[in-house]
Order: sequence, then structure tokens, then C-alpha cells
Amino acid sequence: MMYRRSFTKTALGSSMGVAIGSAVPAGWLQTVSANLAQQESALQTSAEQGSAGGDQDRVLVVIQLSGGNDGLNTVVPYRDERYRKARPELGISESEVIKLDDAMGLHPAMRPVEHLLESQRWSIVQGVGYPSPNRSHFESMDIWHTCHSKKDRSNSGWLGRWIADQKSVDLNDSLAVHLGAETLPLACQERGVQVPSLASLEQMRLRSKVAATMSSESSSQNANGGLLDFVSTSTQAAVQVSQRLENVLASPDSSGDFPGSGLGEKLRVVSRLILAGVRTRVYYVSLDGFDTHANQPQAHAGLLRQWAEALGAFTKRMQSAGQQDRVLVVTFSEFGRRVAENASHGTDHGAAAPMFLAGPKLPKLLHGAPPDLSSLDDGDLKFEIDFRSVYASVLESWLGTSSLKSLDGDYRAAGNALGLFS
Amino acid sequence: MQPLTMQPINHQPPAITSSMDLAQVDPQWAWEPWQASEQEPWNESRLRLLLRRGGFGGEPKSIAALKDLPYTAAIEALIGSDAKREQERFEEDSAQLLAAVRAGGNIQRLAAWWVHRMIHSPSPLIEKMTLFWHGHFATGADKVIDTELMAQQNQVLRKHAIGDYRQLVHEVAKDPAMLLYLDSASNRKAHPNENFARELMELFCLGEGNYSEKDVQELARCFTGWEIRRKSFRFNSYQHDSGAKTLFGIEGIESGEAAIDQVLAHRAMPMFMAKKLFRFFLCDEPEPSQELLAPLAQKWVESDHQVEPVVRMILSSRLMLSGWSIGKKIRSPVELAIEWVRALDISTNLDRLSKGLGAVGQSLFHPPNVKGWDAGRAWINSSTLIGRANLLVDLLQDANTRFAGGELNAWVKSQQITTAESLATMLEDSLLAISLSDSERSQWLEQSTQGNRFKEMLLWLSQNPKLHLT
Repeated sequence: MMYRRSFTKTALGSSMGVAIGSAVPAGWLQTVSANLAQQESALQTSAEQGSAGGDQDRVLVVIQLSGGNDGLNTVVPYRDERYRKARPELGISESEVIKLDDAMGLHPAMRPVEHLLESQRWSIVQGVGYPSPNRSHFESMDIWHTCHSKKDRSNSGWLGRWIADQKSVDLNDSLAVHLGAETLPLACQERGVQVPSLASLEQMRLRSKVAATMSSESSSQNANGGLLDFVSTSTQAAVQVSQRLENVLASPDSSGDFPGSGLGEKLRVVSRLILAGVRTRVYYVSLDGFDTHANQPQAHAGLLRQWAEALGAFTKRMQSAGQQDRVLVVTFSEFGRRVAENASHGTDHGAAAPMFLAGPKLPKLLHGAPPDLSSLDDGDLKFEIDFRSVYASVLESWLGTSSLKSLDGDYRAAGNALGLFS
Repeated sequence: MQPLTMQPINHQPPAITSSMDLAQVDPQWAWEPWQASEQEPWNESRLRLLLRRGGFGGEPKSIAALKDLPYTAAIEALIGSDAKREQERFEEDSAQLLAAVRAGGNIQRLAAWWVHRMIHSPSPLIEKMTLFWHGHFATGADKVIDTELMAQQNQVLRKHAIGDYRQLVHEVAKDPAMLLYLDSASNRKAHPNENFARELMELFCLGEGNYSEKDVQELARCFTGWEIRRKSFRFNSYQHDSGAKTLFGIEGIESGEAAIDQVLAHRAMPMFMAKKLFRFFLCDEPEPSQELLAPLAQKWVESDHQVEPVVRMILSSRLMLSGWSIGKKIRSPVELAIEWVRALDISTNLDRLSKGLGAVGQSLFHPPNVKGWDAGRAWINSSTLIGRANLLVDLLQDANTRFAGGELNAWVKSQQITTAESLATMLEDSLLAISLSDSERSQWLEQSTQGNRFKEMLLWLSQNPKLHLT
């Protein structure tokens, strides 16, 4: 199944590869404005048609909560005696939680997403993890990004491989964009694939009139996969992205009201790009600071609030633009935290934790079993659902693409069994 | 090409090229001290390589002073501390600046103070290694929220920059900024906090996979009661778990100090540090083999955790100076900016410069996380590439910027440069590890003909991809 829009056959021809850093087609810069206008009209058409535009229209936003989000205090088993015992200082009480059912409740800082709960646009996948959990931030994050265990480590990420697999798509926008000043996440990396990292739209403006010289030498001369090849192709990609964003910046800002937090600003940019008709399908953002070894209550509440407020504003903006059924937001963290709190009002690195889905109509609020505090693995929750089955479901059922190469394995059956999407 | 390992015992300097696969390099050959020969003469390009990797490049005057000296003198100038008088005067100035920064308590000014040191210190290797340790024992001011403590830690890192690693680890473990950053300061015996214990093994000394979860828990117990009082380390015996602990299967360890000694004595330690230093000085990729690293690790053991002999071995090695290492690293933002400043004798607003470093991914005193900066390809993405060009452009166009105290054109003249061609050669020599192709060079000269031609040439160069390699 290959959904294509007529505008992809434009003056661009088919020369523009998926990876934005591949060879620059002659005249690309000149065609941008005309092409943008065409895309905008195409976007309007698809918006009028609702989600009938097909899978190729759908967008995925990945939010990474870095540092290890305390799943137990995010989705709280508020009636569980063992929870109370393990968390005498940090436990969230029944009177505080936003009740999901008669066992589980959300942290009170999550109020800004209540409208998603009410409109059935919010899902929680409980007990997500992977076999033999690694409690190092970096190793565990790598596992989530590469879908490989430490033993068969990989230098490419699931989204990087997914991009490499989308060979037959003609788009002049990068399939994935990372928003943030930090290093490009491993999840988006793959040899030959250039995913732009945008610290901000403003920062992508080249402050010098000799811009045309920036990529002075054809990269094919250095195409040996070495560092020179890398900096040359990356420079070409940067110039293209900078030019493309000039056009986005020139269009009126219709992003709407967003909180002034770091994550709020990133999601504001994502919303601006989506509403400007940029054809990127995956946006990757992260929020750091979840490594709450000490003085957790205030810090964790602040972080959850930042996440919920930004997510709440983003989904509201998508809704008011009629885009709510084509944009899915998935949130994860590299691990949860120890069930028992430590003596510094904090929690140490743990294992299984919930994932979160938001945006379109979702069939079920809670997936998977609630955390079983009676059966721990060295003080940590055991995982019930492999994160790769969630990825598989998102790639197959939401984006309408194959998950096999992206995940380096077949998780389709497990993904389907989850029933995340209607 | 004949693999190097096939060479006879008598190691003739082989014709090594920069395209040679690292896996083919013979470890014994690699770490022997490089020596000048007819094929590989000691020249300005080797001197510049040494100064880039061991420091932050050279100003025209230091290049002029060093280029006619023998190779050994250049090494000593870099690693030894020859220039005592110059050093004393610089330290006096720097101390005065630091006192003012400490009184103000603004972390951004502390970063600017450090940038000043990197530009002007007569011992650039010390500043380079201080930067290495800042990334190694990464501590973020956002969590510490105390400029004074960040300044204290910076001094600890500098004091032991090429000194005794064991001493450094012991001091860092009790350093108040680190105690706050990794929560040791609130590690109490009832429920130990594992943060520092884990990172001490994973990131500071051994690497993941060389310890068990049980070791993390036991090590955390050793550090219980390590607190801060009046901005200094204090041992609180009431919060210390004085029971016996077992680490790496060794029983009867009690104190945090004894535990650190056990970690430092772990067999994985020398190799872990050898690999990190190799990557910092020599090349970003590929990963060196254990065999190639073994002589460095061996040196580390022989010299009993002294850093200087290992750094000296790397900097003066054949692998470094034969030419193989040229262009094998991506410049960090700090290297890019400081080398640019030094090569052009720039003085400028250092607050603005240090802020600019943050915009391209290397905010001093704000490493991205406890793992520090990933370096290599991780420095480069669309934002940082545009940002790098903008940073250099801003530097050129800042109203405060002077070139040896004056205007750009006057400075160019003072370098005995009168034509665009000779300026191109000078800039290429001093700022590019890999030369421009003929077509790039002619494009450079053709395009920079408008207005202030010398400035146009610098603007053009600020956007060339080769500028990011060292």
C-alpha cells in the first residue's frame, strides 16, 4: 500500500531522497516556496477529509522522559498496601490522585491532561520494559533507542532504521526531526540518514550573507563514510533545513498558546511545523531531570506538570486545527525507579514502568496488568510488556509502515495483541 | 597495502597514510616515540597538530617561536612548565579575575573566566586536561546552584590535571559540587542513595559491565554519611553504615576511602582510562582494539595512576605525529572557538563567547548529563552547524572584537600579508587540518571580492565543513 499525493510529482522530480543529507538536487532552493504553497493546499485538503487521508498522513511525536521517570508515582496503585509501605514519605494518597479506576490513579500534577482522559484520547501501557533490565541510564536508554540488548549492541536506532526503510516516499522534508539542543538521540541515527536537530527555529537562521558557500564541495568526492564525508553531508543538510525553515518562519505563527517551559517551547515548534504543512512524520523531543535520587516530591511534581501542561497545550492546538486524529504522542522513559524509597526522599534506578499514548481516539485507557508489588525482582517491578511490541504497534497500525527492519525483529503479533488502536 | 603487523621486528617507519585502517596498525609501532626523519620531517604542520591536540592551537607568535626549535623542545613547551615567569604573571591576573567572579557568583562569568584561561594560559595542556576532567567527572551547575562550589571543583580538576588520578578520584568523591550533583550529600544509612556509587564505577573508573548491581548497593553503603557542611566535605558517622561490605567479592571493606581504593585497583580501570584518553587526543573513530590500547594501559599501571606519562606517550607517539591522526577528530565547540580566537589574535567579549559555546552544545559548567559530552559526530547536527558558523560570524562582527588590539586589516598587514592569496595560505595553515581542494580555494578567492575582502574571506571560511575537523 503506497499512498501518494499528486504534489510529490513536481519540479522536484524524484531526486530528493528521504535522507535530507543526500545529494542536493539542482534548483532545490528555488522550488521550496512554490512547493510549500502546494503542500499547504494539500494539507488543507487532507484536513478537510479528516483522517481519511490515510496512514501516510499520520504523525508521531515521541516524548522521552530522561533520567528514569518514577512510574509508580505517575500511575499510582493508590489502594495497594505494599505501595504505602514502600513509599512512607513519597507515596501519593487516594485523596490526591486523579482516579483512573478503583485501583489506579494519576499523579495530581497531571491535571492538564484531564481533557484527554475525558475524550478518550489517552492510554497508559503498564509494566513496560525488556528482559534482564539494565539500570545504567545510558545502557538502558541505548536499549530503548536501538532495540538491541547490550550484548548485540547497535549504532543505529529504531527510527533511523525506519527512515532508511521508507525508500519509496517522495518528500522534500526530512521524515524525522529532533527538537532540542542536546545530541541527536541514538534512536534517530543510522548511517546515511540525516535527521536534523533543531535547537530552535531562530537558531537555524544563518547570520551571514555568504550562505551559499557553506557546502562548497560535493560530498560525493569524500563519500567514504569518514568524518569529512560526514561533516560535508551534514553541512548540506543544515543549509537545506535552514532554507526550509526560513519559509516556515515567514508564514504567520499559528502555534497558539503554549507554556513557556522547555518542553512547551519544543512542542510549540512541532505544532508550528505541522500546521505550516511540513511533511515530517516523526518528531522527537525530550524532557530531562527525572533522575530523582533525592528530594523527589517537588522535583517530580514539577516535571510531570511541565510534561502534562505542554502535552495538554499541544493536543488542544491540534484539536482546534482539526488535526487531532492524525497526531499521536507517545511518551516513554528508560526505566522506572526502585519500589522502595531511599533515605534522601528519593528513589534509585528501577526497571519496568508505564508508557503513555495521547492524541487520537484510543480504544482503552489502561493496557496491561497493574504493577504487582508482591513479586519483585531485586526490589524492582517486573516487566509484562516488551517496549518493542509497543513500537511495533505504533509503526504498523499508526504509521502504516513495516516494523521489521526498524525493530530488527518481528514484534507484530505481540503488538497487535495489545490492541492499542481501534 | 601490506598490513603493518607483517613488518619485520626492526620497525622501519612505514609509509603510513591517514586512510589506513586502525585495525591494521601495529600497537608496538603506534606507541613508540615519533622521530623526525627524511620522510617525516619536523615541520610547522606537525607543530600545529601537536598544539591543536595538546592545547588550543597556536597564536602566530608562539608558532613563530616554536617552529624552528627541535621537536623535543616543542613537546617540553607543551607538557613541561618551562615558562615559569610567564606562568606566574598569568596566574596572578587569572586569580584576580577569579576573585571578582567569585564575589559576583554568576556562573556565566565563571565560564568566561575559564575561556580566558584557555585563550591565554602559558600551559594550554593543563586547561585542555581540565576540560577533559570536566567532561569525565561531569557536574552540572543547574543542580549544584553554587558558583563558588563549581569554581572549587574546577580548581581541583586543574590541580591534578596531569597528576595522580588516584588522588583526583579521592578528592572528587569529597568535592562538594560532586556530592550535591550525584546526591552523595543526602546518602544516609537507612536507605542508601546509589547515584554516586553507580557512576563512580560506570562512568569514572570501570565502565558498565565490570560490576554487579550488588556492588552498586554495597558501594553506596560505603559512602553513607558523606555530607557537606559550610561548603566543605564532612563525615557524619551517625549517618554512616559502618557494617562490613563486600565489593567485587572482596569482603571486609568499611569506609568510602577504602572502597575507592578497591575501585581504583580493579583490573578494568587502566584500560577504561586508556580508551577515554585515546579518544580524547587521537581519534573519534573507530573504536581502538584492546591490543592497541594495551601499551597505554600498561603505562598507566607502570606509572601508578599518573596521568602525565600516558598523555605524553599519546601526544609524542608515531600514531599521533606520523600524520595518521590528522583530520580524525571533530573539533569541539570550545576547540573551534578558542583556536579561531588564538589564530587571529582576537580579543573580544568573553561573556558573549562563552554563552555562544552553549548554543552549539558545549556550555561550560553545564555538561548535558553525568556522562559529559559525547564528542565526535555527536557535536554535529543541523543546529550546531548553523550555530557554529553564526558563532564565528558573531565573533568577527562583535563591536568589542579586536585583532591584536586593532582592526582586522591592520592585523593582516602586521602579519606581512598583503594579498588575498597569502592570507588564504595563512588561514589554511593555521585553521584547517585538511587543506582545501583547488576548486574550493579558487571559489574562496573568487567569492570574497566584495567590500572588506579579508573579512569576507573569514566569513567564507567560517562556513566551510573542513573547519570542523582537527
